[in-house]
Amino acid sequence: MIFAKVVGTVVANQKDEKLEGSKLLLCQETDAEGNDYEDDSYHVAVDAVKAGVGDFVLISYGSSARMTSSTRDSPIDAVIMAIIDDVELTED
Amino acid sequence: MRLGKVIGKVWAVQKVKELQNVRFQIVQPIQSNGEKQGRPVVCADPNQISGSGDRVVYVTSTDATQAIETGFAPVNACIVELVDSVD
Repeated sequence: MIFAKVVGTVVANQKDEKLEGSKLLLCQETDAEGNDYEDDSYHVAVDAVKAGVGDFVLISYGSSARMTSSTRDSPIDAVIMAIIDDVELTED
Repeated sequence: MRLGKVIGKVWAVQKVKELQNVRFQIVQPIQSNGEKQGRPVVCADPNQISGSGDRVVYVTSTDATQAIETGFAPVNACIVELVDSVD
């Protein structure tokens, strides 16, 4: 899982039928404290938790992204599976 | 399976139903001598065995989903063992 900030939405009318009804969000990868990485890594992720722009979220990637009831057997490789309330770092 | 040290935790109320009752820890991958190796990763801790500062063994990729009881959950890394000592 990686930390990310939701920075935008992706609108696509023509898409694979298994993606009908799913919301695609543009996310920027961050560290645990929400700071951007220097390499500006962006991901398009399917939203499984009703996230919105500005939310701090966790993304699962790869084949694990298909392991939710809403993304089962879909052609995707990133899913937002949690909205983060708080992060506590006890050491660096 | 990799060696890591728990350096923090993540609170998330809103999450997919496959992960209800699963908590997340932030784990710094380490070498056997305790030296840091690479960026911290977020690991699920389905059996709630780890706490802050603990050394743990975690699995990644498809194996991580197998560590969840149902075998069906969107996780990339899972804590599976608490380390007592490394010789």
